[in-house]
Amino acid sequence: MTEAGRPPETGSPLRTRLRRRARRSNLGARAGPLIALLGLAGAVSIGHPLFLSAYGLNTLASAASVIMLLAAGQFLPISIGSIDLSMGALTAFGTVLLALWLPHLGPLAVPAMLIAIAAAGLLNGLIIVAFQMPSFIATVGTLGLWSGVSLVVSSASAVSVTGGYRVIAWLNGNIDRVPVSFLFAIVVMTVLGGVLTLTPVGRLALYAVGLAEPAAQMSGVRVAIVKVLCFAAAGLFSGLTALVLVAQDISGDPTSANSLLLPSIAAVVVGGNAITGGTGGMSRVLIGALIITVVQNGIGVMGINPFYEQIVYGVILVAAAGLTLDRSAIGVLK
Amino acid sequence: MAARLQSLGATGARFLSDQAPLLALLGIVIGLTIATPSFLSARNLVVVGTEASVLLVAAVGQTFVILLGSIDLSTEGVMATSSMVVALLVANDRTHLSLGAAGILLTVAVGGGFGLVNGTVHAVGRIPSFMVTLGTWYVGIGIATVLFAGQTPVIQSALTTGLAQTRVLGVPPLVFIAAVSAAIGIVLLNWTRFGRYILTIGGNEQLAQLAGVPVTRYKILAFSLAGAMNALAGILATAEIGNGSVTVGTGMVFATIASVVVGGTPLTGGRGGIWNTVIGVLILTSIADGMILAGTGPQIQQSVQGAVVVIAVAASSWALRKRLRVVK
Amino acid sequence: MSETVLAVERLTKHFVETVALDEVTLALRAHEVLGLVGENGSGKSTLLKILGGVVRPDSGRILVRGQAVQFSGVADAIASGIGMVYQEQSLVPNITVAENILLGQEGSAVRWGWYNWKQLRQQASIALHQLGLDIDPMARTESLSFAERQMVEIAKVLFLENRRHVAPIILLDEPTSVLESKEIDTLFGQIRRLREVGSVVFVSHRLGEVLDVSDRIYVLRNGRCVGEREAKQSRHDDLYEMMIGRSPGQSYYHEESRLPFDEGRPVLSLDGLSARKRYSDVSFEIHAGEVLALTGLIGSGCESVCRTIFGAEPFERGLMRLEGVKISPGSPADAVAMGIGYVPAERRIEGVVGGMNVAANMILADPGVAARRGLLDFRRWRTLVAGWIERLRIKPASPRADVTALSGGNQQKVVLAKWLLRSNLKVLLLDHPARGLDVGAKTEVYALIRRLAQQGLAVLLLADSIDEAIGLSHSVVVMRDGLVSGRFSASPGRKPLEAEIIKCMT
Repeated sequence: MTEAGRPPETGSPLRTRLRRRARRSNLGARAGPLIALLGLAGAVSIGHPLFLSAYGLNTLASAASVIMLLAAGQFLPISIGSIDLSMGALTAFGTVLLALWLPHLGPLAVPAMLIAIAAAGLLNGLIIVAFQMPSFIATVGTLGLWSGVSLVVSSASAVSVTGGYRVIAWLNGNIDRVPVSFLFAIVVMTVLGGVLTLTPVGRLALYAVGLAEPAAQMSGVRVAIVKVLCFAAAGLFSGLTALVLVAQDISGDPTSANSLLLPSIAAVVVGGNAITGGTGGMSRVLIGALIITVVQNGIGVMGINPFYEQIVYGVILVAAAGLTLDRSAIGVLK
Repeated sequence: MAARLQSLGATGARFLSDQAPLLALLGIVIGLTIATPSFLSARNLVVVGTEASVLLVAAVGQTFVILLGSIDLSTEGVMATSSMVVALLVANDRTHLSLGAAGILLTVAVGGGFGLVNGTVHAVGRIPSFMVTLGTWYVGIGIATVLFAGQTPVIQSALTTGLAQTRVLGVPPLVFIAAVSAAIGIVLLNWTRFGRYILTIGGNEQLAQLAGVPVTRYKILAFSLAGAMNALAGILATAEIGNGSVTVGTGMVFATIASVVVGGTPLTGGRGGIWNTVIGVLILTSIADGMILAGTGPQIQQSVQGAVVVIAVAASSWALRKRLRVVK
Repeated sequence: MSETVLAVERLTKHFVETVALDEVTLALRAHEVLGLVGENGSGKSTLLKILGGVVRPDSGRILVRGQAVQFSGVADAIASGIGMVYQEQSLVPNITVAENILLGQEGSAVRWGWYNWKQLRQQASIALHQLGLDIDPMARTESLSFAERQMVEIAKVLFLENRRHVAPIILLDEPTSVLESKEIDTLFGQIRRLREVGSVVFVSHRLGEVLDVSDRIYVLRNGRCVGEREAKQSRHDDLYEMMIGRSPGQSYYHEESRLPFDEGRPVLSLDGLSARKRYSDVSFEIHAGEVLALTGLIGSGCESVCRTIFGAEPFERGLMRLEGVKISPGSPADAVAMGIGYVPAERRIEGVVGGMNVAANMILADPGVAARRGLLDFRRWRTLVAGWIERLRIKPASPRADVTALSGGNQQKVVLAKWLLRSNLKVLLLDHPARGLDVGAKTEVYALIRRLAQQGLAVLLLADSIDEAIGLSHSVVVMRDGLVSGRFSASPGRKPLEAEIIKCMT
């Protein structure tokens, strides 16, 4: 409480306290999305029972693996209260690079691409921290940058994998009728989840920066490093997503960026993670990713005009963001 | 004597930094003319003027939103939808409608509607503007895709295509439309409550609110104006190519933001204006045109514009950096 | 006998854990300048805010020209003729002076949304001329000097009052704290002018100024009105005594457990530390086991010096040494690594992470103590937290509770625990640690501070009151307007008089 005469602030400390407590009633935040997932899947399968058949589930799982990896990566910038709008473009760029390099570099193409894309993510983080730039502007700029580079490098068309596909073919297979890509995504998310719950940086520093950055700064948390790591990791996950995509499509596509960005953000918020950061984890991201996958595939199965997909995403995104927003965390809304 | 020289120097430095965008434009034009003499040819100037016009119209709308301290990422979506809508309303080869000028006005109104939704969801729903307009960007593309329905509507209305393809005083009419839009923007900012309150809200929203300014109302109005301008830009771009297109606005998000920021209007709002945007638009189109003349492909445009956004914002906010500043 | 234009009767205001105003009764007469004086936390700011409509009282009456009124907001106060000029400026920087003065009340100067600039200029000029100001109404507000902007603030209030056609009541909250002496004279000229058309309430910590310009003075202490004097008949010492009152006694500050410190081992030393516009040439030393109270009024530079030591603010000249080694922390993270801890004044914003539980907040500054080989060791963490909860008597004793569910005093203990469990803690900076706490919590915190010193820490204390500073510390350094203005030793038996310290502060 400050002594000096200042124009009045709104909201009393008591109200903020109550609001915070109400918002974190875990049951509501966890149960809601899960119920939505089961409800949506159920609704589609009533009209199309094959949706949840063994084959249907297999298809869903393959599709889900892409969204899972992308959303897991997007979770990190969102958890510190920022956002990465360039993830779609980075993924697209990654698919192009991998498709171009596999024939020439063989197994080395995979780590090369991952390093390159993670470096692009690192660049995002450095720009944001060095210039104290809002993340949405920095990543909108790099979105343009890498989209253009993708188009030039691929000559604006899909790049087929003309050799070396063997290196990643296993990702497109099945183990006991479960897609390997799905298992891969589960393993990756589990590792990230482990970092988020078992390491000091993940469990404490990350969420502190998202919930109360000033308090984190004043407790000695190296906020700049946390931010740069988040964006570098988001880059890495974009690269992992690219890996799975190339394995599934046997080609790299520079234009896939457009359709990947929104699902990644939507999956994070729909799962119940606050868009303002500081809450949630991999379990919620998983549920959100599954919901988005069901919506994506359900639209096709139910014969709804697929062109409506973009509209649906746009609406879901804004609605989910509005519901999970912690308004007390924002001062003046811009 | 020394003191007078010093204050002269300070005034000089301030003049230079205020006029930096204009000086940059002069520098670029001179540089490009030296590199490719055809830059200043009448034909090339018409091309530059046409490109600049479409961008200027959209950038004028974006300027108002950025002056508030917010952002409008839905430009491309609104342009896509308006492209389809106008192509289907005026004389075309798919529908039997032929609404002419009324069709154009209706389309602008549709754009205004998009902006209205943006502003309302943002100001009343209290969702950050980048989030809302990100959603409308995709909704706009989606609606345009639905209207596209697999068949490109070719425009047969001479009025509409004439906006880009006829010549009045040597330039297409859309150049005049853009100039008038900019002029209206300047008038709004300097002589109307709408414009002055936008600047006030951008300067300090809390204080404006305390003084009784109906902040929500003016935010919604600003976004609505931006939506209408985006639609107008979409119509002009559609006139150029002669048919409805979902991709008519590709890259415009970066281009409008870059124009506004490069022209000297910071993202934090409250400062700058339409004239700044005009200069920014000219700078951007000159660079783009110069790159094309030099033989670089159109794809790299997006990259350059993306990089320009980052560089321009970094440069303009360099002085604001503080040790413990919290920026999300 | 001139009429009473504004009066408050038994005005009371509680904030979450403290009593800001306790049955305050006073009156303002027509054409008078009334001065309000008191220490930090005496309630003068709160009283002003209530009069200005910013804050609502819990009980009591406000009477404007004999009529009881209730303000539900600033607009109501303005409607009654009361306008407040804030210490922190409330002008929108990027629009013209005229627009700021007329903001929200443009009236006939704006017809159908169209700005008639000539009219705007004219109307603004009226208010500016009333104050005898030569400021161009069309100038951009941010191009004005700080002092000029303050005048415009007053003009703005006047403009609003002119509309009401009543004699204005102007509330000035610490208007001089950032002005130079020439500008202060101009301000006083304005105030005397205002007195001719209405009445003024003037709040300032600078006693000399208040006596200079006021007709009458009220003294506040701990939320109570303890005295009323005619300005001409007041003496500084008399007023100081009223402002301070009697000390609450030795045991409040746990004097009995104060140990002398080792003079030979300075842990932290500042040498000529300077930062433009904040403080200049600050030098002092803190030894192991010593509590040094850095005291000064708002704007004296104490907070800034403290935050500089913690790396939260930069400095330009001078040296800082930690255990003899030159240091220059570039960020709080640097300072923490060096062994400096900081308990901030804004506990809710900078002290605790709301939304995280007690256990997480406690190890935030040194997660390594609960980790083994890079991963968190939950058993060790649990034991550690339980230990500190018991040691500091944190209630409720649940490590999983959200930290915001704890009372202010217990939150403060969590913050202290956060620093105490750091293995290499050498210096602890306490920024108003007892602010906003009830008496019981305060005395607990004081006991803790004693223990910290006993254990050999070097403690820098920014105290809430001179009382606290003298009671808790071994030494007192006083700052005024960015410079060190006094040094005192505060060992028992040789304590400085509060009056001496206040003289250095004002």
